Amino acid sequence: MSDPYEVLGVSPSASDEEIKNAYRTLAKKYHPDHYANSPLADVAAEKMKEINEAYDTIVKERKGRRAGNAGPYTAGQTDYGRYSAPSEYADVRNLIYSGRNADAEQILDGVPTENRDAEWHYLKGTVLYRRGWLEEAYQDFSRACQIEPGNAEYRAALNQISQQRSGMYGGYNPYGTSSDRWSGCDICSTLCAADACCSCLGGGRMC
Amino acid sequence: MFGYIRPQKSELLVREFEEYNGIYCALCRSLGREYGPFARLALNYDCTFYALLLFALSSGGQPGFSKGRCVVNPLKKCFFCRERNNSLSSAAALTIILAYYKVCDDVADSGFFRSLFARFSLLFLHHAHKKADTRYPKLEKAVSKAMRKQQTVEIGNSPGVDLCAEPTAGMMAELFADAAGPEKSGTPAAQVLRETGYCLGRWTYLIDAADDLPKDIRRKSFNPFAVKFQLDEKSPPEALKQARYYANSVLNGTLSQLDAAADLLELGCFEPAIRNIIFLGLPMMQRQRLFRKENGNVRSL
Repeated sequence: MSDPYEVLGVSPSASDEEIKNAYRTLAKKYHPDHYANSPLADVAAEKMKEINEAYDTIVKERKGRRAGNAGPYTAGQTDYGRYSAPSEYADVRNLIYSGRNADAEQILDGVPTENRDAEWHYLKGTVLYRRGWLEEAYQDFSRACQIEPGNAEYRAALNQISQQRSGMYGGYNPYGTSSDRWSGCDICSTLCAADACCSCLGGGRMC
Repeated sequence: MFGYIRPQKSELLVREFEEYNGIYCALCRSLGREYGPFARLALNYDCTFYALLLFALSSGGQPGFSKGRCVVNPLKKCFFCRERNNSLSSAAALTIILAYYKVCDDVADSGFFRSLFARFSLLFLHHAHKKADTRYPKLEKAVSKAMRKQQTVEIGNSPGVDLCAEPTAGMMAELFADAAGPEKSGTPAAQVLRETGYCLGRWTYLIDAADDLPKDIRRKSFNPFAVKFQLDEKSPPEALKQARYYANSVLNGTLSQLDAAADLLELGCFEPAIRNIIFLGLPMMQRQRLFRKENGNVRSL
């Protein structure tokens, strides 16, 4: 196994507090919530496991001193949407969660239009989302919530994609108050633009 | 669709920014050396990012830099990467191939006089493109396939935004997945790269479309947002603004996917510059291109 300190990106002489902080930052970054429905969920879960193991190893190594009670975040709750209620589309769900997106889509597309219920739209949305077709996924999730407004699973998917669109997880929010970074004066932005023009033919120095 | 993938300079260390410029200069030199002095005109930030990524994925470690004079502007001293390796040649080939298809597109799209410059550059690019094709046939295949697909999509019956972005996104997915090298194909690392490329390509296509929206409406060229909102020259400014805000939310959604994928990238050298571009440079570009004309009042809404 690789060096646990390296995995957490800290030096072996780091204090317990530093290690805990590094661990928390990484755990937040790779948290399954960020990768819900993402095609990279497995890779992120693997990463999470690595971090958990590294943290556990270090804590064990330093046994004797209390390492605080920052219990490892569990990567186990990737059970997103895999729920126990009987489902017409159990096979489609299984295909989606085993990464066979194209097969799942084929079955879904075979369902005649008049039989397409809320769950169909939700699953179709999930397939599209994993493929990166976020706009059509958004429409399908919205449709699912319209047909069945009380369903928490559909609502969670719609909320996630709406928040992403609002700029909460990256991008730019024109109504945003949090983005102080961007509140620079207009002169600066004008200069930046002028600068960019200068460098397109020149040596490429932005200044 | 060039020039959208750039760093936010104020957030880079001076050293990191110099290295970024060093790669930019080195790519320019590489273009000049391999494809002749005119090829330098095709230099752009997007291919610089591709070169950075190739360096970051190669096992060669940090390349060496030296000081010299800029060929285009000899009064200026510059700091450039002196390595002559596959990362730079490959990025240079991509620059030429992309420039060639862009110019072909310009020639086909615009009238005789407007396309004079494009026709002239095509004379030269034709030869350079052939050379790049023989050296890097894989790159050429990925790009030409995307261009063909794009044409089919555009003549379709009011295609959706996702479908329009698919060819560019797919092309970048392929380029990025191949960047890891053949020995890595099928591994999680290649999968992460593929996803990163897909999202970045999608973002690039969409921001280009959103940025060009007013121009495309005037010239009656194809634009996915104009199709979606049924915009034409008579549309009121509010309709255009609505389309722009819509485009921004689509871009945000794409960036959230890109950020999640980029968090999983394993990079060697130039990591700070690459992360800066993805996490800060792209949102900055969104703000600049979509909201630069609305001052102050945007935030007071």
